[in-house]
Amino acid sequence: MKLDRSKKPSPSIELSFVLPEVEEFKLNNALDVIFVHRNNLPIIRLNLVVNCGSKTDPMNKKGLANLFTMMIDEGADEYNGLELMDEFDMLGTNFDLTCNNDGVYISLRTLKENADRSIELFSKVITKPLFDEQSFAREKRKVLTRLIQLKDDPEEIASSVFEYIVLGKEDAYSFPITGFEDDINNISIEDIKGVYKSTFVPNNSALIVVGDISKEELSDKLNNYLRNWDPKVLDIEKYKSKVKESPGIYLIHKEGSVQSEIRIGHNSKKRDKHDFFSRTLLNTILGGQFSSRINLNLREEKGYTYGAFSRFNYFKECAFFYASTSVGIENTGNAIKEIIKELNLIREGVTEKELEFAQLSTIGKYPANFETNRQIAHNLTTKYLYDLPDDYFHTYLDRIRDVSIEQVNKAAIDHIHTENLVILALGNKEKLIPQLREITTDNITELDYLGNEVSII
Amino acid sequence: MNILDINYEKYRLENGLEVILHQNNIHPLVSVNIWYKAGSSNEKRGKTGIAHLFEHMMFQGSENVPKEMHFRYIQEAGGSLNGSTSFDRTNYYEKVPSNFLELILWLESDRMSQLLPSLTQEKLNNQIDVVRNERLERYDNQPYGLAWEILIKNLYPDGHPYSWPTIGYLEDMNSYTLEDVTQFFKNYYSPSNACITIAGNFDKGNAKELVEKYFSDIKSQDKAISLITPSFKLERDKIIKRNENVQLERIYMVWPTEKAFEPFDSSLDIVGDILSGSKNSRLYKTLVYDKEIAQDISAYQYSGKYAGHFMIIATAKPKVELSLLREEIFRELDNISQKGVTQKEITRSKNGIKSSFIYSMQNIESLADQLNFYNFYLGEPNSFNYDLLRYEKATEDTIKDCLNKYFKNSHIELHISPLNGETEK
Repeated sequence: MKLDRSKKPSPSIELSFVLPEVEEFKLNNALDVIFVHRNNLPIIRLNLVVNCGSKTDPMNKKGLANLFTMMIDEGADEYNGLELMDEFDMLGTNFDLTCNNDGVYISLRTLKENADRSIELFSKVITKPLFDEQSFAREKRKVLTRLIQLKDDPEEIASSVFEYIVLGKEDAYSFPITGFEDDINNISIEDIKGVYKSTFVPNNSALIVVGDISKEELSDKLNNYLRNWDPKVLDIEKYKSKVKESPGIYLIHKEGSVQSEIRIGHNSKKRDKHDFFSRTLLNTILGGQFSSRINLNLREEKGYTYGAFSRFNYFKECAFFYASTSVGIENTGNAIKEIIKELNLIREGVTEKELEFAQLSTIGKYPANFETNRQIAHNLTTKYLYDLPDDYFHTYLDRIRDVSIEQVNKAAIDHIHTENLVILALGNKEKLIPQLREITTDNITELDYLGNEVSII
Repeated sequence: MNILDINYEKYRLENGLEVILHQNNIHPLVSVNIWYKAGSSNEKRGKTGIAHLFEHMMFQGSENVPKEMHFRYIQEAGGSLNGSTSFDRTNYYEKVPSNFLELILWLESDRMSQLLPSLTQEKLNNQIDVVRNERLERYDNQPYGLAWEILIKNLYPDGHPYSWPTIGYLEDMNSYTLEDVTQFFKNYYSPSNACITIAGNFDKGNAKELVEKYFSDIKSQDKAISLITPSFKLERDKIIKRNENVQLERIYMVWPTEKAFEPFDSSLDIVGDILSGSKNSRLYKTLVYDKEIAQDISAYQYSGKYAGHFMIIATAKPKVELSLLREEIFRELDNISQKGVTQKEITRSKNGIKSSFIYSMQNIESLADQLNFYNFYLGEPNSFNYDLLRYEKATEDTIKDCLNKYFKNSHIELHISPLNGETEK
């Protein structure tokens, strides 16, 4: 019998998905440990999150947290920077550092057989960094060169300048993590040591551990190796919002650009449990995945771009909403118009079918978010950073299912608007201006790649 | 090692489709991964990029799947999906909750058997626009974005299947016709030219029945045209200089080497690691750390079915001449070819490779792709231990031998400088 291919198959019986069990405990030095035991492979991952990202950078020293992060592994205890890395590498252990607006993250990936030595080294980095002058001078020069290189990266420039306009120059979240040239030159080794003393402390951090080790063994090792890392009374200034958005149309000139980078959006309320799930589903419909409205329109219908998306970008203390794409420069005006059209349309409401689709896809992909140790550690990092409740992961699916169409439509009205947008295009000025002129009769502000005003057009 | 010994079953349908099943019930997920043995190598002059454009067309719906619904059905199931094209092959992959395995087999078999009836000029025009934008975004508008295609064009002889970029040339993109797309499908998208791997949580008996149900009645086309690629040698060194819209100067150096899994392929990987893979690697330590004449450095072996090459890339610090970087790089290569490397350096590299093999076992999707990778190049999916052993076997002698064999030959250099001819002050 010939197979009838016209019929879409239905799913077979659903398999059960069991969330990893999370255990939390405190070390003797008050460090919170969030632990998941998994023994499917003989590997272990550690993520240390320290609540001190670039948002804590002082005025005139923007880029401090990032430079601090680059310095923390430049030698510890008896090892200089090269020797330290050699110790990790000989074990086949991966050691990584990153910094963003909200935190400094130190991660370790080790085989079970090398866990003890890896954790000992990891602890040395945390408890006994050297912070020597010579390494500091070298890492500083590396950042300064990196700032020069950033001028070449259109996506990076567009994104960081957009944040600058949406949040305003005064807010602690608005500047690039790598900082500014003058600020970097202002930073001394004493500033680096100051960060270490004041904010890089156990009671301002959490350690997330996922993998093949018992809780007892882990706790013994950590209590031993981190014993000299002492808690301190924190003297961190509480975040005060200085967000000040400057709506308008902006352009950044880049000679020889064959495309334009587009960012459109506005600032937004920070993550809030009351409407987080309806905002999530709203954006899934609008621009969160391939089959969302914005991508289907700009890519699959118009062919303006390789891809377009939208997102609520949540920091711990503030947030903004934006749509982003890069298009052939001749389609800049058209793409901006289509994005604004989609923002207006979503405010008129979504359909039951769209909501159902967004819910099904979010629910269905949930188990895949807990596949690797890295993913689990990432989820737990998010929980720590945003102070999510203990039952967050267990109630997640129900919270998604419970969102009604009225709530999504309310979220659209509350959290997306098209008056007073920030519209930014980066590309060749001569080609951009006539297209932007079709969108507005108001001023167009030309900025340089750091977000400073060049001229009013 | 036991963890790297993967249980699997491999068989072939009557129409020639290869099937690999790997059961792993840790998560309620299943991954389907298909390799078609066709990539940009199979393109003709004037139609570069068509293998990749074709990959895009595979997502535009098929006889029983309307446009946009391929994506939508999978996303609705909570799945993720994508595809990629390289010189040698094109792959398509999905990861879904296990109970949606049949949906994926239905979608994959529908486009394998009945893509052509649903092709339209409108879909083609739309995806030509999309891949043109993809090229602009990822290559033309990126700093140093055209370096790769300049290098391979000069490295490989005219007409060699690796001498043009997989994304294709802009001018060729305008020339794709429905006829080209149809012909590419007929030439290369036959079940006998493909291998499907199913990995993850499923019932084997059921999976076999479903594969039989959806794929067995797909007719095989004539055998795919196989390529003949004579080996080649660079006659002389060549230095290409370009001025681009960038801030810092960058040097690229490339030597023709070996194909995938040829005797020195693994030693060349280790050479790359010893030169640039860690803070203590030779070039990183000298150029970036001690002398601070480079901002970054990388060195790696690229190996494919038809050829391979070794590339070194270094970005100069402001005010540093490329000639200085070049000198230092050559000095180190000479140094190694005379004095060799240390046992410690080899061990460091091997330990890194071994643990990265084990870390990579976590993700069922990358495991499925790796099974297809081994099957494509070695004819044996369960080759993790064999592969690791290649690295274990490398010694101070093999490292020295491969350097002496390849790095004394002619090579290509590309020097990219800022447009105004001066580096940033």
